[in-house]
Amino acid sequence: MNCDLCRSEMYAWRPGSDENSFQPLFDHLDSCAECARLFEQLTASDENVRRTFQSYPESPILESRILSGLAHQRAQAAVRRLGWRSWMLAPALASLLIVLFVLVAPRFQQARLNREMALLLSKPPALEINSTDRKQLLEWSASQLEGPPTLPAELDKLEFRGAAAISVAAHKAVLLKMKNEERASLVIVGAPLTQDNRFHSMREGPGSASLWSDGTRSYLLLFNGTDQELHAYMTKMGITA
Amino acid sequence: MHKSDHTFDDWVGQYQRLLFGIAYWWTGSRTDAEELTQEAFFQAYRSRSSLREIEAVKGWLVGILRHCYAQRCRKDHSRIEIPLDEVVEKSGETIDLRSDGADPHDILALRQALERLDERHRVPLVLFYFQELSYREIAEALELPLGTVMSRLSRARQLLHESLARPVALTFVKKIRKVN
Repeated sequence: MNCDLCRSEMYAWRPGSDENSFQPLFDHLDSCAECARLFEQLTASDENVRRTFQSYPESPILESRILSGLAHQRAQAAVRRLGWRSWMLAPALASLLIVLFVLVAPRFQQARLNREMALLLSKPPALEINSTDRKQLLEWSASQLEGPPTLPAELDKLEFRGAAAISVAAHKAVLLKMKNEERASLVIVGAPLTQDNRFHSMREGPGSASLWSDGTRSYLLLFNGTDQELHAYMTKMGITA
Repeated sequence: MHKSDHTFDDWVGQYQRLLFGIAYWWTGSRTDAEELTQEAFFQAYRSRSSLREIEAVKGWLVGILRHCYAQRCRKDHSRIEIPLDEVVEKSGETIDLRSDGADPHDILALRQALERLDERHRVPLVLFYFQELSYREIAEALELPLGTVMSRLSRARQLLHESLARPVALTFVKKIRKVN
């Protein structure tokens, strides 16, 4: 090995390198004082460089800055994930709402109607027109509902003693109080209320009812008593169900 | 917080000082080193699925730091050299160095010598001296063939020692980064 190659090899050697690979280098160093001196200088300088590399500034806030930046990234990622999931869920939720509306809404409407009727039975509203004149009361009812001042033939024999404007399931309605029977009322609603024109249950409150409809109006005979008492009243008044 | 997030936060505590030191000697600036280290950890977090073996996390993080540094170098368009004493007098900036027994003159000389090296020599040299990584570990971190790393390091060490043999000039390289 000549001196030029030796000085090149010096820079390839590092402590812990394979001794066999660098044996020619060490053989040359043993025989060349000038190269040996350079190698000694290089080794000392290398050690000084290594030590100098360990002297660098402190950065006491760096770790907390990195961690807070990572927390921000995670928060943003969470928001993005949530947004993506919302878009995926939106059609499913919309479909579910439609199904609920179609299947369940009529039942809720029916239950609400029943509750309102039961409430009417237990607490009749204050009368707005107090008269025993049947014609006058029916004309007043017709003016509230925008329809004819007549009743179906089945109810033609009913006599009244007062009337009040009410609302049933958001429909306009009037409530007529019966003459000679404090427990009975006739509700005329300005709309057909149910598909089969029947209230399935009036058992939520203390009362019973019977329903008629002419396709545009519903007539509901409410009775604050049992079904038998209602039928007895209807028979007495000549009402055909 | 997810379990993997806890693990990653542990890595931050464990390796931020190492990455900062490497970045400091690469850039010669504490501020740049802090930004580079932060960016490396953020990129590492975003691409954490690319880590194949937990045991290789140190080399993986150094590799990402290397990518961030390369990106930064591409963005640096201009440099001007300002005499060190002028910088200190005009801006009030101080050179904040841990002493650890090292001579400030040696530190300044080393910084200047590193600045004189081009990037392909400076990058493996810092890993070689600062972290004392093996040739193989440096090759893996830099994604270079082992032979290339050995020849570059041999040349880099030669250039470094030649540079250190010159007298130290009181100049301080200040980088001007163009913000796009």
